[in-house]
Amino acid sequence: MTQDILTLKDVSVRKQKTLVLKGIHLRLSENEFVGVIGPNGAGKTTLLNVIAGFEEFAGELHVFGRKETWKRVRRTRLRIGYVPQLFPVDPGFPILAAEAVMTGAVGRVGLFRNPGIKEHAEAVRLMEMMRIAHLASRPLGQLSGGERQKISLARAILQKPDVLLLDEPTANLDIAVQKEVLNLMDEISKREALTILFVTHDFNMLPERMRRVVMLKAGEKVFDGDIHKALRSDTLSRLFQYPLETFERNGRRFVSYG
Amino acid sequence: MVEQLLDILSYPPIQRAVIACVLCGASCALLSVFVVLMKMPLIGVSMSHAAFAGAVLGLLLGINPFLSGFILCLLVAAVLGPLSDRADIAPENLLGILFSFLMGIAFLGMGILTQTKAGALNLMWGSLLSLSETDVWVLTAVTAVLILFVILFFKEIRAVLFNRRVAASAGVPERMIYYMLLFLTGAVVSSNLATVGGLLIFALLVQPGATALQLTYNLKSFFWISAISGILACALGLVVSYIFDIPSGASVVLIATLLFALAFLFSPKRRLIKRNERNPSYENDVR
Repeated sequence: MTQDILTLKDVSVRKQKTLVLKGIHLRLSENEFVGVIGPNGAGKTTLLNVIAGFEEFAGELHVFGRKETWKRVRRTRLRIGYVPQLFPVDPGFPILAAEAVMTGAVGRVGLFRNPGIKEHAEAVRLMEMMRIAHLASRPLGQLSGGERQKISLARAILQKPDVLLLDEPTANLDIAVQKEVLNLMDEISKREALTILFVTHDFNMLPERMRRVVMLKAGEKVFDGDIHKALRSDTLSRLFQYPLETFERNGRRFVSYG
Repeated sequence: MVEQLLDILSYPPIQRAVIACVLCGASCALLSVFVVLMKMPLIGVSMSHAAFAGAVLGLLLGINPFLSGFILCLLVAAVLGPLSDRADIAPENLLGILFSFLMGIAFLGMGILTQTKAGALNLMWGSLLSLSETDVWVLTAVTAVLILFVILFFKEIRAVLFNRRVAASAGVPERMIYYMLLFLTGAVVSSNLATVGGLLIFALLVQPGATALQLTYNLKSFFWISAISGILACALGLVVSYIFDIPSGASVVLIATLLFALAFLFSPKRRLIKRNERNPSYENDVR
């Protein structure tokens, strides 16, 4: 039987008198791969921030059966991996790619201890899986956006989380790199048995293992269900308030922007 | 000349000045790694103004100026810490307001000081030759705590310097690290009021880190280069001020700037970055 990993009950977030999340109810089970889709300002990142523990909220949040506020103990933090949108790193910043990956093990090993052989071997395995092992000794700030996002993914998985939160990880990447990162996510989902919550606004670039989609609009949940029902022209046109058509090719549904 | 220099080193006030100079260079330079890599020079300038304003208030109220400077630094840290955690406030604007307000307090205090203003001016420019033994001991203790902080929490520091939010999500106690950093900034700045003063210290909170940024990708080397350039700036500055009979604070800052200029001119990193910019490897993205 699958177990509920995350439960949100009537979760709301207010920012400067504006409700950016309105009474969200959501349950996530073990090994689910769920997409969060919506237009800009729909509250997608805020939802992720609530779960990650970066945002104060009203309502109830249960993580692994335990009621949580936005302030988290280390044990809970370790179980939730987080990959933010691509963020700038100065070309001269003193951190190498391998060191950036290893920061994912820092919280797990705890204070006054250094990551050991086991953690280093795991980092190497992940970098090989992401096909970035050859970049290990390169300064992080000199890598391309796609390479930095793969480093970010490897770092988050090195943490050995049960849940992985991905905040538009393919935004601002070239199409080929987007596809490569998506394939990696499918591989991660299969190999690491993680529950994944994936925020995006690009519904033509969705990982294949994603089966469920949550749609947000102006802070409200307007759809929660099967991806094939979500990717219908009437649902999407209503969500984005723009005429959108969908079509199928090779068993996959695509969206045409008209 | 060398004999003359060695001769004056036998005088206790000069010995204290030299030790304080090395400690000042080391402590400010270690802090400058954080100031530069976390891009928070305004926090450094606010802290130095807080220490200065607190010390002037201390003179006014008849309490130890370094203690009052330290207390005001801690108060500023207590305001700055939570503010920087709030996403809805631009900290830069508030820092700008805060540091000009503290400067206003300091000058107001100086205006109504009835006693001689020399004490207050010393707090502004520092006075290496009038350091007491207590000043040197306090500076030693603060520098030792800062070095211990860097050694004990090095891996956490690296994670926080890289990205505070990512570090927090990985279970790193980033708030503890950040608040300890603010506390240590207050302690370093206020304990150095007597050496380089509340105004010139800002240069030492930026330049050694900026110098190291030109030279290495390794964080451990970064701390070492920063510390060595800070100590070098202070020690050479003192010697130059003695030889040419110029104010020591000014010569320290000028030497620190010179070291930065040399590192910038001969930076191997800059050459590498420029080369990469000239030959962008687009294939990196689709490998």
